[in-house]
Amino acid sequence: MANEYFVRMGDGERISMTKEQIIADLQEGSADAADLGDIPELSGDELDKLADIIMDSNRIVSVEPGMEIPVTHDIGSIRIDGDQGNSGVGIPASRLVGCMMHERGFGADTMELGHIDYSFKPVKPVIAQECQTMESCQQNMTVPLLYGAMPNLGLYYTPDGPFENPGDLMKAFKINEARESIEHAGDHATRDITWIMQHLQKVGCDGVNFDTIGAAGDGDVYASLYAMKALREEFPNIYIEAGMAGECTLGMHGELEFEGNVLAGLWPHEQVPLAEEAGANMFGPVCNTNTSKSSAWNLARSVTFTKAAVEASNIPCHVDMGMGVGGIPMFETPPIDAVTRASKAMVEIAGVDGI
Amino acid sequence: MCFFYSSTIELFKEVVTTTKEELYKELSDAIVSCKKDQVLAAVEKARGELEAPDIIENGLAAGMNEVGTLFERGKLFLPHVMMAAEAMQAGVDELKDDMPESSNKAASVIVNGTVEGDVHDIGKAIVSTMLQTSGFEVYDIGRDAPVADFIAKIKETNANMVGISALMTTTLPGQKEVIEALEEEGLRDKVKVMVGGAPATNAWANKIGADCYAENATEAVNKAKELLL
Amino acid sequence: MPISHIMASGLTGMRAAGDLVARMQFSEDMRINEAKDYVSKKLGVEAIDLGDEYVMREIREELDIGVLTSVPGCAKGIASKMNIEKLLDIEINCCDKFREITG
Repeated sequence: MANEYFVRMGDGERISMTKEQIIADLQEGSADAADLGDIPELSGDELDKLADIIMDSNRIVSVEPGMEIPVTHDIGSIRIDGDQGNSGVGIPASRLVGCMMHERGFGADTMELGHIDYSFKPVKPVIAQECQTMESCQQNMTVPLLYGAMPNLGLYYTPDGPFENPGDLMKAFKINEARESIEHAGDHATRDITWIMQHLQKVGCDGVNFDTIGAAGDGDVYASLYAMKALREEFPNIYIEAGMAGECTLGMHGELEFEGNVLAGLWPHEQVPLAEEAGANMFGPVCNTNTSKSSAWNLARSVTFTKAAVEASNIPCHVDMGMGVGGIPMFETPPIDAVTRASKAMVEIAGVDGI
Repeated sequence: MCFFYSSTIELFKEVVTTTKEELYKELSDAIVSCKKDQVLAAVEKARGELEAPDIIENGLAAGMNEVGTLFERGKLFLPHVMMAAEAMQAGVDELKDDMPESSNKAASVIVNGTVEGDVHDIGKAIVSTMLQTSGFEVYDIGRDAPVADFIAKIKETNANMVGISALMTTTLPGQKEVIEALEEEGLRDKVKVMVGGAPATNAWANKIGADCYAENATEAVNKAKELLL
Repeated sequence: MPISHIMASGLTGMRAAGDLVARMQFSEDMRINEAKDYVSKKLGVEAIDLGDEYVMREIREELDIGVLTSVPGCAKGIASKMNIEKLLDIEINCCDKFREITG
């Protein structure tokens, strides 16, 4: 045991590994990202530094003083008041209280307002309430406060929406019909997101966080990018954060484009230029955690993808580091040792502008 | 003499093998092209040279595996996977009459579905397609499927395995409910259970008594083969 | 989990100068070093001080740009953001709306 170190599996379980095993996993994880994204692997020095971070004997590690970065927040105040059996802790508090707890109690650098479903589409019927809550929050808070929600194109398909489910159509080999359905849903989502944010901007909102772009495939990305473009044109000073859902854009449609660029199959370093072109001023690269691999493998893979995105970007990159992404274990209360190691690695090796 | 003789044999073998490999590659490439007419043409060409099961296993199925790999690498997309699957199905149908009697033995049957309350469908649909093209008889009961629907379909099809998908932490317990229902119905011993979906993990699979967890479609096919074949 | 990140890497918001750096990232698309450089010059401190609660507490009180604890009389909410606008030479949407309403 003397020569072994505690690390985590991607599902959070504590295991022990030798230094050689950790280094082998780091190399393998980085190589996997490099192979998939056609990007450089981490250098020997970077892998050594990553190994040192992982093998640090302290439970909590941190960046060196002077290297701190802003930590932006997603999922609104749901982590406080959410009680749907998800990662919310179910404290009955208003959203204003939840937002102010993040600002005053937790030391958040930015915050966002969101509603309990956290998708854009259901905001439409409750827009007046969202606007009033936004006003209350803006009147009481100092840190930048965005409105956050998921594009979630899934809500536009049957049984929840007006368009036939492309999954069902694909299964019946009705490829063209499935593609048409995605296009219709994408156009509607663009219009809805733009309409919602027009209302929120009128009451003093700082901007919008598109959370988990691409969760429903390239149609999701299409809807989000065109909504960003429309919002940037109408509100030149709006803050727009583009947070992705995964390291690769799933090609549900396969041929959707934004300004002549095919959206399917893009990796983080290829996603960020499109977000920039659409008008985003912050990009959130994502790399999902493989629960069957060690945190060494996952973190090296995630840092490799993120570093390439940071280098390809002209806007700040705030890497997504929630549950099950960015080298963080897929576990609702991710172990602090794993979170702080991933945090330090992203800042000091990937060079992110924020988290 | 001896030298010439053995060399000639080796050369002959090589020519035959190359031809066979070329046919496999042609079949596989046709599947990767996702074009039904190309697949049918490749099947027609291979027919005189290869046995039907050989065409399917080493040509068409190998092509589908390649499609799966390219999909996971972001080089091919869902419509391509479905077009390739449709093309493969057309190729298999074309060979139906050439299949030997012995190959008509019942394939392993898998029921796949997403648990009740969860409308996520795509990942599970991809897994169903990949299992189907790997030779399993798959019944996809869709998304938001009540426990009773899983059990009914398992009974109706005499399934050997059930694949249970859940994409949200809130719906994950639905996987456990299906396993409990299998136990209550006395079916658990004859039905293997595979779980998957973003919040599912190996530890979760062990905790609820599933037989395996699969991270993605390729792993689902491999694990199903391990458990059923 | 967010607290783990904030403790490990964060500028800790209003405890120090995190909100100001984040504002510049959003307002002017500034990368981390550029944003820190800009804010530190505006505050007359070193970049390393932006994460230092001891240094920033006094500065925030002096400039009246919002302090973490409930100090009576200190600018809060939109009032603090109007002072941040002047300090960082940016416009903040809710301050514009406030001015529109109050004339």
